[in-house]
Amino acid sequence: MEQTESRNSLFPRNGDIQTIGQAGTEGGFRGLNQRAVLSGLLACIGYYLGTKVGLALTFHPHPVSVMWPSNAILLTALLFNPPRVWWFLLLCVFPAHLITQLQNHIPPTMSVCWFISNSTEALIGAAGIQFFLGSSPRFESIRSIGVLFLCGAFLGPFLSSFLDAAFVSLNHLGQEGYWRVWWMRFWSNVFAALILLPAFATWLSKPFKSLLHRIPPKRLFEAGVAFAGLLTVTMLVFCRLESGPASIAALLYTPLPFLLWIAVRFGPMGTSMAVLSVALLSIWGAVHGRGPFVSAVPEENALSIQVFLSVVSTTLMFLATSIVERRQAEERFTKAFRSSPDATFVTRLKDGHIVEMNERCERLFGFQRAEIIGQSIYDLNIYLSKGDREQIVAGTSAGNGLHDLALRLRTKNGELIHTLVSADTEDIAGEQCLITSIRDVSDRRRAEEAQQNLAHASRLAVVGELTAMIAHEINQPLGAILSNADAAEMLLQSGSPPLGEIREIISDIRKNDLRADEAIRRIRNLLRKREIQMERLDVNDTVSDVLRLVAGDAQLRHVQIRRELAPGLSPVFGDQVHLQQVLLNLIVNGMDAMDDVPETMRLLDVRTSSNADRYIEISVADRGHGIAPEQISQIFELFFTTKRNGMGLGLSIARSIIEAHRGRLWVEANSDGGVTFHFTVPIIEDDVAADFRQRRGLTGG
Amino acid sequence: MKKTPVIHVVDDDQAFQTAVSRLLRAAGYEVQCYTNAGNFLIADYDGAPGCILLDVRMPGPSGLDLQQALSMQIEPMPVIFISGYSNVPITVQAMKAGAMDFLTKPVQRKALLNAVENALAYDAKRRVVREQLKSWQECFERLTPRELEVFEGVIAGKLNKEIADELSAAERTIKAHRAQVMTKMRAGSLAELVHIADQLQASGIGPANALNPTII
Repeated sequence: MEQTESRNSLFPRNGDIQTIGQAGTEGGFRGLNQRAVLSGLLACIGYYLGTKVGLALTFHPHPVSVMWPSNAILLTALLFNPPRVWWFLLLCVFPAHLITQLQNHIPPTMSVCWFISNSTEALIGAAGIQFFLGSSPRFESIRSIGVLFLCGAFLGPFLSSFLDAAFVSLNHLGQEGYWRVWWMRFWSNVFAALILLPAFATWLSKPFKSLLHRIPPKRLFEAGVAFAGLLTVTMLVFCRLESGPASIAALLYTPLPFLLWIAVRFGPMGTSMAVLSVALLSIWGAVHGRGPFVSAVPEENALSIQVFLSVVSTTLMFLATSIVERRQAEERFTKAFRSSPDATFVTRLKDGHIVEMNERCERLFGFQRAEIIGQSIYDLNIYLSKGDREQIVAGTSAGNGLHDLALRLRTKNGELIHTLVSADTEDIAGEQCLITSIRDVSDRRRAEEAQQNLAHASRLAVVGELTAMIAHEINQPLGAILSNADAAEMLLQSGSPPLGEIREIISDIRKNDLRADEAIRRIRNLLRKREIQMERLDVNDTVSDVLRLVAGDAQLRHVQIRRELAPGLSPVFGDQVHLQQVLLNLIVNGMDAMDDVPETMRLLDVRTSSNADRYIEISVADRGHGIAPEQISQIFELFFTTKRNGMGLGLSIARSIIEAHRGRLWVEANSDGGVTFHFTVPIIEDDVAADFRQRRGLTGG
Repeated sequence: MKKTPVIHVVDDDQAFQTAVSRLLRAAGYEVQCYTNAGNFLIADYDGAPGCILLDVRMPGPSGLDLQQALSMQIEPMPVIFISGYSNVPITVQAMKAGAMDFLTKPVQRKALLNAVENALAYDAKRRVVREQLKSWQECFERLTPRELEVFEGVIAGKLNKEIADELSAAERTIKAHRAQVMTKMRAGSLAELVHIADQLQASGIGPANALNPTII
């Protein structure tokens, strides 16, 4: 804890105060870490110097200083230390306060009173800022600068000035009235805080050294020129110029170009330094009777300097911060844009002219950024049809942007890729632009296709084992049709054809034709290579269909299939064919497992039930040879098989199908021999289910 | 007194059963239908000539099971299998067990009627043979013990004299017995008598096999 804090310590790295050498010797103070002790020491020195500066910037013979830096220094010290050491910092500052006050012949009681009011101001400010910004604030956003100004530069002085004025009245110091003192004290402190706080806060909230070597030389040179210009102009106007008729008020604005330059280019840190420089020079000039601030009454001079610099400081700080914020946002965007794993390009909304394109985009499509910027997106021919881009634009018009539109696009060398396109419109440099982001899902798509091919292969394998079923299903009605037709033909050849029977025959032929057709459709459904199509299903219907399919085979293999279907199950959301395949797989496996079992004991139980977790559970229990315990973990692996002719596809595919349904497939050994495969499929949520049931009821009725 | 042949259709598929029985009736046969093997076994088909059109896959015992059960009978009716699906093992099993034919659905009319015709012809022929054998057996059972001895001697190729010596009888007496055997067995010649003896021996009822050297 202590180590991390000292590593994060800001003060030891702070180059503008040189008394770091004693830090080590003070480190052991109980309950305080090195950083707090050092802060206390620096605050003490800073406070002392601040008071001296404050006194130097006083219009004589008037007793109130134009700028009283001590309070801002104390506030800064509190700001960068945790509240638990604040008492110590105040304790450190107290001697410095007392010494300077006594040097100026202030009565000790008044000194203590002023210390109390000054401490109150710093405490209010620091507490407010830490409350809003946390313990180690960074002053780089509008919000943080706003909080700094509001709490540190306004709230603190505002509240503490009541105390201060009261102390002055109670000690009968000077002839000013309560409100008069309040007014002067308030402005003096506001001004000091506005000028000094940003400088201290921005510089101390960043590690100073790391800042220095990150600045490129070009930028350093620019900063040098800007500051040199600012200081020269300020000195000329505020310190060299004799006051009088020549020093017209308009000259006040001469440093402004440099201040703006610095605000725009060097952020809050540069701006705060620049404003501080101007403030110090202008006050020094005014105190020495130079510059445009010199009028007859010193108080008026003080006030006008305060108001002028307060306005300039506030405005410029907000300006600089907002520019930094915006630049950071732009940098973030640019960074995100450039490093995005998605190919992204920006086009003009109205005509598709390419404004920008990231590296990923160049790689995906094979274009060189330089050669296509400024061309029309239509010339690149990446869209298969012109309607594609219109579709994207239409997708963004709702306001929330377009997300993951599946689209096939063409690369430079004509290859077609599967993509998911997201897009949004954005105002860039005054023009409506379309930011299009493309995710290449060709690989995923290929994997999915491979998975589907595998599923298909496994289905073929299963169906291959069920050729008897297929032949039976189709040949049965075909046999009936053919024999019926033959019979009819023979009957017609006789002298007096029995028309009634022939009519019956024709009706039977039609019936059997439809039966064959249905059988073919059922088998084709099972064989068809297809994507998963989710629909509402009654699990019991699905199970019954499969049982009908396998009935013939089961019979031939002397397997008795017992069904136990729970009535009134809620519908599930699933793919009928895939679920049928899974079930078929499990049933065929179960029958295979019982090949070596005596015929009378070949029992297969197929059950459906709804379990408590809003799932429908389907189980297939056999009385077969079972699965060896060491194999039970492997059976769902691809290409694992215990069958002589097995491919080891069935169960792995089955599991992926069930997982695609957000269900689970597992196996358990039965106590009385064999195994039970279970799988679950989630049921449809209530409202949907109710709607489904209702609609079923309507169509059924 | 000859009964009309009956085709027994054993198939669980009602539609096919109806269709095929229509066809067979149109072709002039009498048809009986059964939806499973059990029904067929308990049915009384009265020893009439005919054949069985048998489905392989049925609920309960399969067609192959029924065929096996039928083969235990002395006079099984010829079986024609007719199945929605056939593979080599099933077909081989059926044919080995003596099936007349193995047809697959949908079955061509010609193939079906041919198979039925063949089966019926086979059945009829077998019935003729069986009738003949039955009458021979009846005749055989009417022989006296002495005549039986002479019969056995004759079919063993012995001369009257040899038989007479063996039986310690006069050659004339043996001659008379021999004529009696020929008459009772309705044999016109020695060759015919030998043929009858063979047939009887094959059926298990008949003279001791004199050709078998161990008996001599």
